[in-house]
Amino acid sequence: MSEDFSPIPASKRQRGAGRAVPALFRRIGAVLRKTAADLQLGEVWKRLKRNRAAMAGLYLLAFIVVVAVFAPVFAPYSPIQGDLRAVLQRPSWSHLMGTDELGRDILSRVIFGARLSLEVGFVAVSIALILGTILGAVAGYYGGPLDDVIMRIMDVLLAFPSILLALALMVMLGHGLNKAMIAIGIVEIPSYARIVRGSVLAVREQEYVESARALGVPTGRIIRRHILPNVLAPIIVRATLGISEAILEAAALGFLGLGAQLPQPEWGAMLSRSRNYIISAPWAVFFPGFAITVTVLALNLLGDGLRDALDPRLKAG
Amino acid sequence: MVSYIIRRLLMLVPVLLGVTLAVFLVMQVIPDPTGIILGQHATPAQMAALRHELGLDRPVWVQYGDFLWKALHGDLGRSYLTRAPVTYEIGRRFPHTIELTLAAILIASVVGILAGIVSAIRQYTVIDHLAMVGALLGVSMPIFWLGLMLIELFAVYLHWLPVDGRITLEAGYHFRTGFYIIEAAVTHNWPAFRDAVRHIILPATALAAYSTGLIARMTRSSMLEVVRQDYIRTARAKGVPERRVIFRHALKNAMIPVVTVVGLQFGYLLGGAVLTETVFSWPGIGSLAVSAVQNSDIPLIQGTVLLVATVFVVVNLVVDIVYAFLDPRIRYS
Repeated sequence: MSEDFSPIPASKRQRGAGRAVPALFRRIGAVLRKTAADLQLGEVWKRLKRNRAAMAGLYLLAFIVVVAVFAPVFAPYSPIQGDLRAVLQRPSWSHLMGTDELGRDILSRVIFGARLSLEVGFVAVSIALILGTILGAVAGYYGGPLDDVIMRIMDVLLAFPSILLALALMVMLGHGLNKAMIAIGIVEIPSYARIVRGSVLAVREQEYVESARALGVPTGRIIRRHILPNVLAPIIVRATLGISEAILEAAALGFLGLGAQLPQPEWGAMLSRSRNYIISAPWAVFFPGFAITVTVLALNLLGDGLRDALDPRLKAG
Repeated sequence: MVSYIIRRLLMLVPVLLGVTLAVFLVMQVIPDPTGIILGQHATPAQMAALRHELGLDRPVWVQYGDFLWKALHGDLGRSYLTRAPVTYEIGRRFPHTIELTLAAILIASVVGILAGIVSAIRQYTVIDHLAMVGALLGVSMPIFWLGLMLIELFAVYLHWLPVDGRITLEAGYHFRTGFYIIEAAVTHNWPAFRDAVRHIILPATALAAYSTGLIARMTRSSMLEVVRQDYIRTARAKGVPERRVIFRHALKNAMIPVVTVVGLQFGYLLGGAVLTETVFSWPGIGSLAVSAVQNSDIPLIQGTVLLVATVFVVVNLVVDIVYAFLDPRIRYS
C-alpha cells in the first residue's frame, strides 16, 4: 500500500470527489463568464437589442427552433403516413396547409421538416467551422509552404460555384441527407479557413499583441483577449449566414433528388415532388418553399444584426 | 498594371490544374460505370472489355495525365449515355445558358443598382424600407421555389407568359446558333425574338433575384459611404446641384465595389442556372449537369463541372483586373 501524502483525511475525500463535477462546472462557468466579459458580450447584446430587424430574426428563429424541437406536439398528423382518401386537398380547417399527392398533411410535414433543415444547417456549418478553423489557424500560424498548400487547396474549392461543387461531391458520396450535410460542409470550408487565417495573421502582427507578450501576459490570456475576439466576431457572423446558405443548398439538393430522400419531410425534397402538381395543387408547392424562405430570412436578419453589433465599424448606412 | 495582370494570370495556372485534378479525383471514387453503360444484363467479360476500351484498367495517374492532355486539346471524352463527344453536348447547350445568365445579370444590375441608389438618396423613407425588404427577400428565397411561384402566378394563373421551355416549338422557328434572342435580333426575325424574350423573362427573373438583392444592398451602402466623404460636402458647398452631386460625383466612386459584386455574380448565376434550368426545362448546361449526375454519366459531369469552374475562375480574374484598373490602390499592394 502506498503512502498517503494528501492533507485531506481519507474520510472527507470521498465527499470531495462527489463535488468534483459541480466544481468543474463552476470552473467552466467562470472561464465562460470571463471570456464573455473579454468579448464584451454585454455590449454586443445591448447593441443587438436595439436593432429591431435583428430581434425580429431572433424571435422568428427561436419560434422555428421551438417548433422543430416539439414537432410531435405541434404536428396534427403523421408526417409520413398519408390518407389516400384525402389526396391533394386544398387548405381547410382539418388540413391548414392542405394535403399532398399521397394524402399526407403538409403542415405536419413542414413542421417536421424544420428539424431536418435546422439539423442540416448546424451539422454542415459545424463541419465547415471545425475543419476551416483548424486549416486556417494552421495556415496563418505556421505560414510558409504549409500555408501555401492549404490556401491553394482552398482556392481550388472556391473555383466552383458552391451548388455545382456540392452536386459533384454528391456524385462521389452518394445520395441522402447525411451525405448532403457532408458535401455542403466541405463546400463551406474555405470561407472559414480564410477568415481565421486572415484574423490570425492580422492579430499576430499587431503591436499591442507583441507588447502584451513582452509584458509577460500569459499566452492563454493573449489568445482569449486579443486573438479570440478578433476571430470570433467574423466567425459568428459567417456561421449565422452560413447556416442559412447550408439550408438553401440542402433544399436545392433535395429538390434535385440528391439530398433528402422521400418520404423524409425535407422541404426541398417535398418541392421536387409537388412541383408536378403545380397546376392542380399550388399549395403543395407554396408552403414548403415558404418555410425555407422564412427560416433563411430569420437567419439573414440575425446575421446582419450580429455583424453590426459585433463590429460597429462595419455597420452599413 | 501589366505586371499585375501577368502575376494574376500565373496564379491562375495552379488553380486550374487543381480544378482538373479535383474534377478527375471526384469521379474516381464512383463505382464502376460499365454496369451503367451496358445495362444490367452485361456479362463480366463484356464489362472487362469495356473497361479496357475506356482505359479504366490503367493506373490512376496515367488516367489523369491522359485526361489532362486530352482536355487541353479540347477532348473531354464521350458521354456514356449518348456516346456523343462531351464537347459537342456542351457546345450545343452552353449558348442557352450564356443567354440566360446575361439576361439575369442585366436584370440584376439594372434593378439592383437603381433600387440601391434610390434607397440611399431616400434613406429611412418608405421607399428605402420597401426596397431593402425586397432585397432581403431576394437573397432569402430559394431560386427553384421562386421559379415555381413565378410560373404559378404569371403562367398558370395570369397566362401572361409561357410555363417553361426555350421557345414555342410549334411555331417552327429555325435557329443556327443557341443564342436565340441575339440571333433573332440580328436577323430581324421579330416574331421569334418576341417569343424567345417571353420565354426568358421568368427564368431570368428567378435567377436574378438573389443577385438583385445583393447588388441593391451593396449599392446602397456604398452610396451612403461615399456621400459622407469630404469631397461631396465640398461639391455641395460650392453649389453643385444635388442631382449632379449624386450622379456625377458620388455615383462614380460608389460604383467601384458594385462593379466587383456584379462581376462576381456571373459565377453565382452559372451555379444558379443548375436549378433554374431544371425548373424551367431550359436546354442549357445546368440541366445537362443535373441529368448527367442523375445518369452517372461521368465524362459529361466532368466536362460540365470543368467548363463552369474554368469560366468562373476566368471571370473572377477579369473582375479583379477591372477592379484594379478602377481602383489603383489594389494593384500596388
